[in-house]
Amino acid sequence: MSLEFKKNQVAFKDSISVEDAETLLEWLQKKANAKVDLSACTHLHAANLQVLMAARPNISAWPEDSRFTRWLKSALGQI
Amino acid sequence: MNPLLQQFLTEARDFLQTIGEKLLQLEKAPTDAALIAELFRVVHTLKGNSGLFEFPEMTRVLHAAEDLMDAVRNNKLAYSQELADSLLDAMDFVGMLCDEIEVNGVLGGNYANESTRLSDSLRKLNVAAKVQTEVTAPPPEHISTPEPPRLCLPTESLAQLQLLPEIERMQAYRLGIQGATLHWIVYTPHPECFFQGEDPFFQAQQTPELLWGSVVEREPWPKLAALDAYQCNLDFYMLSAASELSLQEYFRYMAEHTQIQLVSPQWLIVPTGDLNGGPVYDDFVNDALALLQAGDLQRLSRIAETMLELSSPDLWLASALRWLLLILELAPQQVEVLQALLESISTLQPIAWDSLPSWPVANTVVAATPAASPPPEQNAPDADVPDATDAPISATVTKVESSRQLLLETIATQQGILTLPLAESWSIGRMQAAANALGGCLHALGAQEHLPTLERASAQALAAKDTAPLLEFIAQFLLSQSPVAVETATFSSTPSTPSSAPAPRIDEPAPALEHEPEVKFNRRSEDNLLGAKSLKVDQAKIDRLMNLIGEMVVSKNALPYLAGRAESVYQVRELSREIKAQYAVINRIAEEMQDAIMQVRMMPVSFVFQRFPRLVRDISRRLGKEVNLILEGEDTEADKNIIEALGDPLIHIIRNSLDHGFELPEIRRQAGKPAVGTLSIRAIQQSDRVIIEIQDDGKGIDPEVVKRKAYAKGLLDEVALERISDQDAMHLIFAPGFSTADVVSDLSGRGVGMDVVRTAIENVNGVITLDSTPGKGTLLQLSLPLSMAVTNVMLIESNGLVFGVPMDNVVETVRIPRSNIRSIKHAKAAVLRGSIVPLKALNALLCIDVAPVANADDELAVLVVRFGHESVGLLVDNFRETVDIILKPMNGVLSELSVYSGSALMGDGSVLMVLNIKELLQ
Amino acid sequence: MSKTILIVDDSATMIMSVKSNLEMNGFKVETANDGLQALNKLKAGSKPDLIITDINMPNMGGLELIKSVRALPGFRFTPILTLTTEGQAEKRDEGKKAGATGWLVKPINGVDLIKIIKQVLPGA
Repeated sequence: MSLEFKKNQVAFKDSISVEDAETLLEWLQKKANAKVDLSACTHLHAANLQVLMAARPNISAWPEDSRFTRWLKSALGQI
Repeated sequence: MNPLLQQFLTEARDFLQTIGEKLLQLEKAPTDAALIAELFRVVHTLKGNSGLFEFPEMTRVLHAAEDLMDAVRNNKLAYSQELADSLLDAMDFVGMLCDEIEVNGVLGGNYANESTRLSDSLRKLNVAAKVQTEVTAPPPEHISTPEPPRLCLPTESLAQLQLLPEIERMQAYRLGIQGATLHWIVYTPHPECFFQGEDPFFQAQQTPELLWGSVVEREPWPKLAALDAYQCNLDFYMLSAASELSLQEYFRYMAEHTQIQLVSPQWLIVPTGDLNGGPVYDDFVNDALALLQAGDLQRLSRIAETMLELSSPDLWLASALRWLLLILELAPQQVEVLQALLESISTLQPIAWDSLPSWPVANTVVAATPAASPPPEQNAPDADVPDATDAPISATVTKVESSRQLLLETIATQQGILTLPLAESWSIGRMQAAANALGGCLHALGAQEHLPTLERASAQALAAKDTAPLLEFIAQFLLSQSPVAVETATFSSTPSTPSSAPAPRIDEPAPALEHEPEVKFNRRSEDNLLGAKSLKVDQAKIDRLMNLIGEMVVSKNALPYLAGRAESVYQVRELSREIKAQYAVINRIAEEMQDAIMQVRMMPVSFVFQRFPRLVRDISRRLGKEVNLILEGEDTEADKNIIEALGDPLIHIIRNSLDHGFELPEIRRQAGKPAVGTLSIRAIQQSDRVIIEIQDDGKGIDPEVVKRKAYAKGLLDEVALERISDQDAMHLIFAPGFSTADVVSDLSGRGVGMDVVRTAIENVNGVITLDSTPGKGTLLQLSLPLSMAVTNVMLIESNGLVFGVPMDNVVETVRIPRSNIRSIKHAKAAVLRGSIVPLKALNALLCIDVAPVANADDELAVLVVRFGHESVGLLVDNFRETVDIILKPMNGVLSELSVYSGSALMGDGSVLMVLNIKELLQ
Repeated sequence: MSKTILIVDDSATMIMSVKSNLEMNGFKVETANDGLQALNKLKAGSKPDLIITDINMPNMGGLELIKSVRALPGFRFTPILTLTTEGQAEKRDEGKKAGATGWLVKPINGVDLIKIIKQVLPGA
């Protein structure tokens, strides 16, 4: 449902909507060493995906769903 | 019947009605684009709805009608009368199908032929239009050859296929060899696609039977600071085992941004890895080729396995060997494939699959649909759309204003309530309630500073049992408010019209207003904004209300009797007075309630009138006459029963007028009249009756013709023929068995005459009169009661029995000295105001063998009643008062007693029989 | 959490048909009889996850509604499907041009309807 920001880390919870992409981008623009926790993420809108692809933050945890994770890993160059 | 079907039928009827009306309007304004668009919309919607069910006969016709209207809408076809005729026919057919579905729940009969015939005739009109367009339309612009799709060349796809990890490709190859169709999908979403509600990532992930997918950026990413999150810069590549059809279906919304390419499994055979390292095994390739030639695939497998063990797995060669082993396992019969792979091992070049005889599939590129959609326009926030933020604010202002108005009205209404004359026992509660309501209103108005004054006033009022202090407070408060409020106060304080005040009644829980009143009012106004203001109610429910209020009226009439008994039997005069006071209250409420329920039953005459434009059009066209129909007063209301009873007689009258009244255009012209005749139908309310006038400017009724005809038919004897006035002669057309038409036409003829119309009107206590000028036209006037629910009857006594006679029938009551009564043959008569009135004894008519009783002055009571166009005197014993009764028709065996129109329960519990004068005198 | 869908159609029959299908599949449904009513609903605070709208309607048609919805704050990215008939291919394109996500073709059976909605509405 939302993004939860903590210092240098953002946790993605459930489904991240297109509206969230703007917030995510603004936050990543400010954080040089951002970490992203995707463990509770079930889906993210393409707008969020491209923000992650452009920003290349550290992914501290991947989602549970292996198919989803495979997509994300290939997008973020981790395969 | 299932609710959806029920809903469909109800709505279909409305649509058919609208279509009919619009078509007729279009006749007058054949180029009205708005009308045409509306007509198309309704036909289109109806067709769409019919598609929800299995009614192919209906849908076929509606589809053809829709196409036809579409052509008219797009100016490919002009509106014509033929077109209207065909459409009206088609809609009649659809209406008939609806009727059948209503009755049987399904379409039983065989309508296929009729359906085909109707849709063909509609299509024919449309085809004519198409041919015409094709001739006149400018030649189509040069059709540009579609741009070659970006990925039409296998080589490009082949390169992209290498994006797949080898393990995935091998998996897919295995599936492909086992018979799955493999598709390579390249999905390049439009940069603006997020603004169309698309989520390309979700779309890609959900691809049916997805084997593998990846996403890459289309253009290199800009610096993060310059990134626009909402410009899509992603390309998606996917391999799917789904069929081409289901992929096309899945990607249909983004067809022009998607390439779907059939993939031959062999294209997946692309060795990858480090090309450098390890020796070139020429010997191995030579041996392998020889074994392949010899067909010894087992040994080929073995030497390949050995080679693989010797090679580092990261080498390109190792990858090629793994593929070789997989092909040997899955598709050893494909010698060319094996050979090509071995050759590529020797050259270290990728296999040129496009030079090979393709197996098993052709190289096909599927562009999902050729139609290219222009990119979506981004909506600027300040586009010419009303600013979203403005509206709600202004709406809120209005809401506040209107709720304030409402509150002030509520306060003013308390004034009215407090001045109502009421029994003392109620006064305390009433004052308390009014004070509560006032308190609530003050809270809601934010006028808390007035609360202490109110409390003082109400305490005083309650202590003194006098409403004066409260009334004074209201007057003061309203004065302190705006002039508008004062005006409202004057208006609503009239106690005689409490129902007109839109304010809560005494018993409404006014204190509830104290809790968050703003919220409540806001919500209310919003609901009004969006909600419907009328509701459809089953007629049975209204009828039940009607019966209940009828019983209530009767029950409450028992109270005066009770009061009488309290005084005369129990000698308690006080109690008697109180009962009478309570009766006054209940009586008022019951009357208002009765009035309110009757209002619910009221329907506008337009319910009947709306059929006429079509009727007049159809008949006049069939007769070759030109008639302009004018309808007036369609909003005039009357009881549902009256309105429904009007339908058939009016149709008959109109048919008659068109058939016999109007002349052919040529004859009219010769007579110096406009070729187009005018038929006007007016409805007017006159006190408690509704008057309907049907006027034509046709040839009128010739009294001479009527007289001769009546004489020929034996309706008049020679004496009467000489004496009858022209006016009376014309009324002969209402006589049973009279028909003015020389030839019985198929329109109004039908073997029935205007007597049927007269009977139908009289059955609902209506009166029909006629006025005609030969050569100028005819005016028919129907006068009907507004409602049949309550009947005003005069009570009469005869032979010790009490009967009711509807006041509609009563002309006057007179007492005639016995000496003034003449006997002519066996009949009695008297002269009243210069005309002879036949007299009949009620007793005799009811087969009671008792003579009427005269009063002390030897005068007989004569009730003069209207019988058709005559007056007849009924000899009775005595007259009594008139009363309002709820007339119940006779039931069971009694219903055969036609001299009674029904019975009614009186307040003392007795039953009153109401006479049917017409039947009685016949 | 169940998703809310706004159906806009001037035909009560069509609304009833689509609505009952959606409700059986656990969606919350709101309805409006024309574009104007729908727009007012949105302005009054309704926040559907998906809008399904007819094209031909009195007062305000579907295309105008889509354009107006896209200009409303909070509805830039809301999926919108148009309700079209077999013969209205050009309307589907016009709908997309106006900002619609896709279209439905009437009459639509319940299975297809849900399939398409699941396609355009993540998490449905």
